[in-house]
Amino acid sequence: MNEADLQADATDRMLLERMAAGDRAALGVMYRGYHGRLCRFLSRLTRRPDVIEEVINDCFWIAWQKAGTFHGDSRVSTWIMGIAYRCGLKALRQHGDEPVDEDTVPQERLPSHDPGDDRELRDWLGKGLEKLSVDQRVVIELVYGVGHSLDDVAVIMQCPVGTVKARLFHARVKLRNVLPALAGEPARLKEGAP
Amino acid sequence: MTFTMDTNRDCARAWEAMPSVLQESASSEQNAWLMDHLAHCQSCSEDYAQQERLRLALSLPADIPVDPAVGLKRLLARLDAPVPKPVVQRVRNGWLTRALAAAVLLQALAIGALGARYWSESNNPAYRTLSQASAPVPAGALHVVPDATMTLADWNALLHSLNLQVVGGPNDVGAYTVVPSGAPATGAPTLQKLRATRGIRLAEPVASVP
Ligand SMILES: [Zn+2]
Repeated sequence: MNEADLQADATDRMLLERMAAGDRAALGVMYRGYHGRLCRFLSRLTRRPDVIEEVINDCFWIAWQKAGTFHGDSRVSTWIMGIAYRCGLKALRQHGDEPVDEDTVPQERLPSHDPGDDRELRDWLGKGLEKLSVDQRVVIELVYGVGHSLDDVAVIMQCPVGTVKARLFHARVKLRNVLPALAGEPARLKEGAP
Repeated sequence: MTFTMDTNRDCARAWEAMPSVLQESASSEQNAWLMDHLAHCQSCSEDYAQQERLRLALSLPADIPVDPAVGLKRLLARLDAPVPKPVVQRVRNGWLTRALAAAVLLQALAIGALGARYWSESNNPAYRTLSQASAPVPAGALHVVPDATMTLADWNALLHSLNLQVVGGPNDVGAYTVVPSGAPATGAPTLQKLRATRGIRLAEPVASVP
């Protein structure tokens, strides 16, 4: 854990204490602070904005209720991601796992002024993620997207670290095999090379 | 290109080390080792470039529009909303089940208008089925619907304190018929006390049959 992480966690703990005392302003700060990363995390589970908002609000509703019971066994961010993960799975059960082919729909509707590089990168990523299971997508997002350690991910997903390692391993192997080679780089010549 | 046993083992180690190096959470030794391996191994170097791109793609902000201001406003409104009590579960098998069902029914039907008809000992066969009071009702009898949250002990204590005893019910709309026991009937005050009691949803005098 680096200095910035430690500082962020100290701030989070302070906000959580204030939330436990009923301070709604603290809840607002926390909500805004986590909104971006929760949105992206949940966008790996569903493409529906209404479901994403519902899950974020479920998550913070629980965090608000349970702020006083947080004992600091983990970082606050780990605690919140864990709540969001469980709320997300619950929403998936309620709304049904969004069909994978829907993943491409919002991207096609995106306005053309989306920066070209990002657009290309998103498309590339989307092709890979659709081949993964929900849990594999969650692990890859938590490790590469959010930057959580494997131990953190184990706490979030409430499973052994070995399971996290296996999911990450399989997700990466699958992505390596399905993602097209980097644009602008020579294709692999392993087989064809003299 | 031939892979020796060592190369395979090193490549596996390199594959394992990539996430923590990309997260910048690897030790400097691990970091240096991987960079050295990549410099000599074209295959792992390509894999690493792909993993780097993967991490970059995953770190882009979500491309789904969700407005935090709107969401927060909804959340705050939700905090103010009354929490629905799981009363139904608590009394599902209890003595109050029918009273609860009746009370809900009454709320839905608007107590004032329809309730009065249900309470009356009407001879209209259409209403007879709603009343199980087949025998003549004693003077001063009341119909009482306790709330689902009322415990049996509270209900008994209330009846005891008001010198009431249950002579019938619950009927199909959940009303208990109670009458003054022993002491002379003190109709109006008893009725008022019942209505003022927390946990009593409804208390009405039983309409006298002409
Ligand atoms: Zn290698």
